[in-house]
Amino acid sequence: MMVSVILFAPLVGAIIGGFGWRIIGEQGAQWLTTGLLFLALVLSWVVFLGFDGNAYTVEIGRWIVSGELDTSWSIRIDRLSATMLVVVTSVSALVHLYSFGYMAHDDNFGDLPYKARFFAYLSFFTFAMLALVTADNILQLFFGWEGVGLASYLLIGFYFRKPSANAAAIKAFVVNRVGDFSFGLGIYALFLMTGSLTFDNIFAAASTLGGEEMRFLWRDWNAAEVIGFLLFIGAMGKSAQIFLHTWLPDAMEGPTPVSALIHAATMVTAGVFLMVRMSPVLEFAPHAKMFVVFIGATTAFMAATIGLVQNDIKRVIAYSTCSQLGYMFVAAGSGVYGAAMFHLFTHAFFKALLFLGAGSVIVAMHHEQDMRNYGGLRKKLPVTFWTMLVGTLAITGVGIPFTQIGFAGFLSKDAVIEGAFAGGGAYAFWMLVIAAAMTSFYSWRLMFMTFWGRQRGDAHAHDHAKESPLSMTVPLVVLAVGAAVAGMIWYGDFFGDVARVAGFFGAALPDGESVLEAAHHVPGWVKVSPFVAMVVGLLLAVWMYLIHTDVPAKLVAAGRPFYLFLLNKWYFDELYDWLFVRGANWVGRVLWKRGDGSAIDGTVNGISMGIVPFFTRVNARAQSGFLFTYAFAMVLGFALFLAWITLSGGAN
Amino acid sequence: MFAADFRIILPEAILAIWAMGALIAAAWTVKDAATRALTWATAALMLALALWIGTGTGVDSAFDGSFVDDRFARFAKVAILLISASILLMGEGYMTRRALMRFEYPLLIALATVGMLVMVSSGDLIVLYMGVELQSLSLYVLAALRRDSPRSTEAGLKYFVLGAFGSGLLLYGASLAYGFAGTTLFSGIIEATADGVSLGLLFALVFMMAGFAYKVSAAPFHMWTPDVYEGAPTTVTAFFATAPKMAGMALFARVMFDAFGNVTGDWQQIVAFLSVFSMFLGAFGGIGQMDFKRLMAYSTIGHMGFALMGLTAGTGLGVQAMLVYMAIYVTMDLGAFAFIMSMERDGRPVTDIRSLNLYSRERPLVALAMLVLLFSLAGVPPTVGFFGKYYVLHAAYDGGFGWLAVLGVIASVISAFYYLRIVYFMYFGRETQPLDRVMSPAAWVFVVGCAAIMVFGVVNLFGVEPAAAGAAAALVN
Amino acid sequence: MIGLEHYLMVAGALFVIGVFGLFLNRKNVIIMLMSLELILLAVNINLVSFSSFLGDLIGQVFTIFVLTVAAAEAAIGLAILVLFFRNRGTIDVEDVNMMKG
Repeated sequence: MMVSVILFAPLVGAIIGGFGWRIIGEQGAQWLTTGLLFLALVLSWVVFLGFDGNAYTVEIGRWIVSGELDTSWSIRIDRLSATMLVVVTSVSALVHLYSFGYMAHDDNFGDLPYKARFFAYLSFFTFAMLALVTADNILQLFFGWEGVGLASYLLIGFYFRKPSANAAAIKAFVVNRVGDFSFGLGIYALFLMTGSLTFDNIFAAASTLGGEEMRFLWRDWNAAEVIGFLLFIGAMGKSAQIFLHTWLPDAMEGPTPVSALIHAATMVTAGVFLMVRMSPVLEFAPHAKMFVVFIGATTAFMAATIGLVQNDIKRVIAYSTCSQLGYMFVAAGSGVYGAAMFHLFTHAFFKALLFLGAGSVIVAMHHEQDMRNYGGLRKKLPVTFWTMLVGTLAITGVGIPFTQIGFAGFLSKDAVIEGAFAGGGAYAFWMLVIAAAMTSFYSWRLMFMTFWGRQRGDAHAHDHAKESPLSMTVPLVVLAVGAAVAGMIWYGDFFGDVARVAGFFGAALPDGESVLEAAHHVPGWVKVSPFVAMVVGLLLAVWMYLIHTDVPAKLVAAGRPFYLFLLNKWYFDELYDWLFVRGANWVGRVLWKRGDGSAIDGTVNGISMGIVPFFTRVNARAQSGFLFTYAFAMVLGFALFLAWITLSGGAN
Repeated sequence: MFAADFRIILPEAILAIWAMGALIAAAWTVKDAATRALTWATAALMLALALWIGTGTGVDSAFDGSFVDDRFARFAKVAILLISASILLMGEGYMTRRALMRFEYPLLIALATVGMLVMVSSGDLIVLYMGVELQSLSLYVLAALRRDSPRSTEAGLKYFVLGAFGSGLLLYGASLAYGFAGTTLFSGIIEATADGVSLGLLFALVFMMAGFAYKVSAAPFHMWTPDVYEGAPTTVTAFFATAPKMAGMALFARVMFDAFGNVTGDWQQIVAFLSVFSMFLGAFGGIGQMDFKRLMAYSTIGHMGFALMGLTAGTGLGVQAMLVYMAIYVTMDLGAFAFIMSMERDGRPVTDIRSLNLYSRERPLVALAMLVLLFSLAGVPPTVGFFGKYYVLHAAYDGGFGWLAVLGVIASVISAFYYLRIVYFMYFGRETQPLDRVMSPAAWVFVVGCAAIMVFGVVNLFGVEPAAAGAAAALVN
Repeated sequence: MIGLEHYLMVAGALFVIGVFGLFLNRKNVIIMLMSLELILLAVNINLVSFSSFLGDLIGQVFTIFVLTVAAAEAAIGLAILVLFFRNRGTIDVEDVNMMKG
C-alpha cells in the first residue's frame, strides 16, 4: 500500500498538475506536485529504513497475459529498489523545491505559462523512474525505461523556442534508441530462453542460461553472454557510456534542475541499476562483465579528460557525471555490485548538489554559463559556495586514508577502485586512478574559476549577483549534508563485511563474496592510490588556477592539438556526424530523390496516372454497349479456357 | 417415399406455391393494390423460412440424391432468404416513389428466390438447370420491370440474351457431362472421375464453369453487369448484386466439389484466372465511373474475384473463406444500395456520385455510415471488409496460391481509389444542390445497420464464421 | 454406320453456328433469339444421342425439361423484345447500346 502511494503520488501530481493547472493555477500545480513528492520522499525513507532484507512484491494489476507471456504489474521491493526509491524521491523532491526558485523567472517563454508544465514533467519523470526501479519484471522495467526517456526528451527540449534545445532533445532520443534497440533484443532473448520476464523466474533460470547456447546473428553463443551484452548496450545508451555518451553533454540544454535530477542523479544511473538488477544473470557472463569493465573504465577516463578543458560550468559537471557513471559500471562489471550501488547512492547526492549549486551560480550570474566570466563569487554567494565546496570535497574523495572517515565520494570511490583492483583487472584500476586525479583537477578548477580569483566578464552581472532564495539554498544544504555523511553512514552496509553486505542486500544480489572479500584485502598502496591521485589533482589545480594563473594558457599554446582534441570532446560528434548523420542524410537524400522521387513516385504515378487509366480506357472501350461485343467476350473467355485445359489439364 | 422426399423440399415448395398462388389471386382480384401487403407477407414468409431452414440439422437428400439438404445448402439458403427479405423491406420506399409497386414484383423476387434455393441444394444436373432457369427467367423480367423506360427494357434485353447464352453454355456442359459420365447425378460424376478424367468431361467442366462465371459475373463473363445494373430499377439492381451472387457462388462451389472434387487441379487454374481477371477488371473498370450503380457493378465484379480466390484454394478453409466473404459482401452491398435507392433530386433518382458533394453536411450520420461501408468495401482495416479480404487471402496463400494473394492485394489497393473518391466527394466536395431527403426509415435502418455491422462485426462476425466452417466441412471432406 | 460421334458433331456444329450467330449478327435481335434456340437444340441433340447411346432415359427426360424451359425462355425473351420495341421503335442490335462504358 505504502509503496503504491510512493509510485503513484508523482503520477497523480503529474496528471493533475499537467492537465488541471488551468483550474488549480500554476502555483497550485507547483505546490501539489512538490507536496506529493515530499509525501513519496517520507514514505520512501520509511520503506528504506524499515526494510529488513526480505524482498516482497505488491501486485497492482495484471498487464499482458498471452500464452507463455505473463506480466503482472507489480512493485518489487528489495534492497536495490528501496535504495533507488530514496535516491529518486530525495533528489526529485529537492529538485522540485529548488525549481520554485530556479524557474520563477524565465525569459524564454514570454507570457506563455510554463511552470505547471515543468513541474508536471518532473513529476512524470519521477513516476517513470520509480516504475523503472520498482519493476518486478523486465518489461515493466522497460516501460519505466522508455518513460524516463520520454520525460528526458521533453525536459531537454523544454525551452522549445531554442533550436539548440530541440536539437539536443532529438539527439538524446535518437542516441538512446540505439541502446534501447539492443535492450529490446535482450528482453526478447531473455523471454526466448527462459519463457518468462519476471525477475524471480529469470534469476532462477540464470544458472541454466549460463550453460545454454543460443543463436544470435551468425553463430551460437553462450546465452547468458548474449543477454548480458545486449542489456549492457542498452544500459550504455541510457547511462551515456563511451560511443553512446554524446547526448549527455548536449542534454545540458535543459533547465539546470533537470540536469541535476535526470542527467546526474537518477535517469543516467538507470543503466547501472539495470546491470545490478540483472547481476544474477551477469554472474554467468564473464566476457560480458569484462566488456562492462572495459567500457566503464574507458568512459571514466575519456570523460574526465574532456572535463579538464571545458569552460561551460554545466558541461564540466556533465562530463564528470559521465565519468562517474563509468566508475559505477566498472564496479558492476567487477562483481562488486554493492560498491556500484554505493557509488550510485552517494553520487546522487553530491552530483545533484553540484548541479543545483551550478544552477544557483547561473541564476545569480543572469544565465551566464561560461566559467571564464565568473570569478570571486565566494563572498557574494556564500551558501552556494560552502555547499558546493562540500560537493567538491565529496566528488574528489576527501577523507582520511585507511579509515572510514571522509566525504561520501571518498568512501564510495575508494570502494569502487578497490573492487576494480580485485575483480576488474589492471587496466580498469589504473584508468580509474588516473581519472580520479583528473576528477580532482577539474572539480577544483571549477571551484577556483568560479569562486576564487578576480571578477571576469560582464561587470554588471557581477554587481547584481546575489545569493539565491531559500527555496534554492535549502535543497543545497540538505544535499550537502547527504554528500558529507552518506558515505560514512552506509559504508558498512554497501561495502563492509561480506556477511553484513549479504544481510543488507538479502537475495537482491548474487554471492559476490570472493571479489568483495578480495577487495577488502587489497594492498595498502591500492587503498591510498585514489587519495594520492586526489591530492595530485588538487595541487595541480591550486598551482594552475590560484598561484600561476598564466600556466593554463601556456599549456594550451604548447599542446594545442591535444587541447583541441579534448575541447572538441575527442571529436566524437564530428565522427558521428560524418559517419551516421551525413550517411543517413545521404541515404535519405538518395531514397528521397532517387527512390521516392523516381522509383516510387515514378512507379506510383506511372501506374496511377498512366497504366491504370489506360486499362480503364481499354475497359470502357470494350464495354461498348453492343450485345455482340459482350457475347464475343464470353466466347473468347471460354475458348481460352478450352484451349488452356486441353493443352495443360487434359494431359493429366 | 415420395412423402419423405417432399418433406425435404417443403420450404421451397411452400415459397413456390405461395408465389404462384398469390400471383394468380392478385391477378384476378385487386392487382397492384395488394402489392404492399404481398411485399410484407413475402418478406415475412422468407424470414420464417430462413428461421426454419436455419434450425435444421443433419444431411438429407431427396429424389435419389438429386436434391441435397446439408449444412452448406442451409447456410446459402438462409443467406439468400435473408437477402431477398431485406431487399423487399428496404426497397419498398423506392418502388413506391418510382410507382413500381406492381404485384408481380414481390412474387418475382419470391420465384427467383425459389430458383436460388433449388440451385444451392441441387445434387443433379437437371435440378441444377431448373433452379438456374427459374432464377434467371425471374430476373430477366425483374430487370425490365420498368416497362416504359428504354433503359430498363434495354437492361432486360441485354440480360436476357447474354443470360440465355450463359445458360446455354452451362447446359451444353451439362449435356457433355451426362454423356461422358453416364449420369446426371453429381455423386455419379464424381465416381466417374475417381481415376482420371476424360477430355469430354474436361470440356463439360469448362462449359459449366463458363456458365457459372456468367452467373456470378466473373470476368470475362461480366460484360452484362454494368449495363444491367445501370438500367434496372435500383431495388432490382440491389437484388442482382446480392442474392444471385450468393446463390451462384454457392452453386459454383457445390458443383466444383460435389461433382468435380476429384479433379481439383484442373479447375483451380481456371478459377484462379477468373479471380485475377475479375479483381483487376473490377478495379480498373470502377475508376472511370461516375455513375454510382455502374460503379457498384464493377465493385461486384471485383468482389466476386475475391470470393473466387477462396474457391481457388480448393480447401475447406477456402470454401469457408468464400462463404464468409460472400456474407460480408452482401451485407455491405445491401447497405450501399439502400443508400443509392435514397439518392434523389427534385423527385428524380440520381446516381452520379458528384451529386453527393458535401453530403456529410446534410446528413452527417448517414454520411458516416456510408463512409464505413465504403471503407469496408475497399477493405480498409479495422472494418469487417478488411477481415473478409484477409480471410480469402489467407485461404489462397494457405492453398498454395501465394501469387494470387499478392495480386489480390494489389487489385484491392487500386480499387480503393474509387471507393475513397466517393468519401472524398461526401466530405470535401464542392457545394452543389443538395439531395432530397427521401430516405425511407427502412432504408435508413439498413444503411446504418449494415455500417454498424461492419464496425461491430470485427468482434466475432456475428457467428458467421463457425456457420461457414460447418458449411464448408459439409462440402469438402 | 452412323454412330454417336456423328450426332455429337451435328450438335457441336449447331452449337457453334448458334454462338457465331450471337456475335456475328449485327442486324436483328430476333436472330439472336434464334441463335439461342439453336444452342438449346444442340444441347437437346446431345442429350438424346447420349441417352440412346447409354441406353438410359435420363437424357430424354432432361431434353423434355430443356424444351419446356426453352419455350418459357423464348416467351420471356420475346416479351422483353416487344417492350424494348415499344420504347425505342427498333430492334436493331446496333441500337441496343444506350448504356455503355
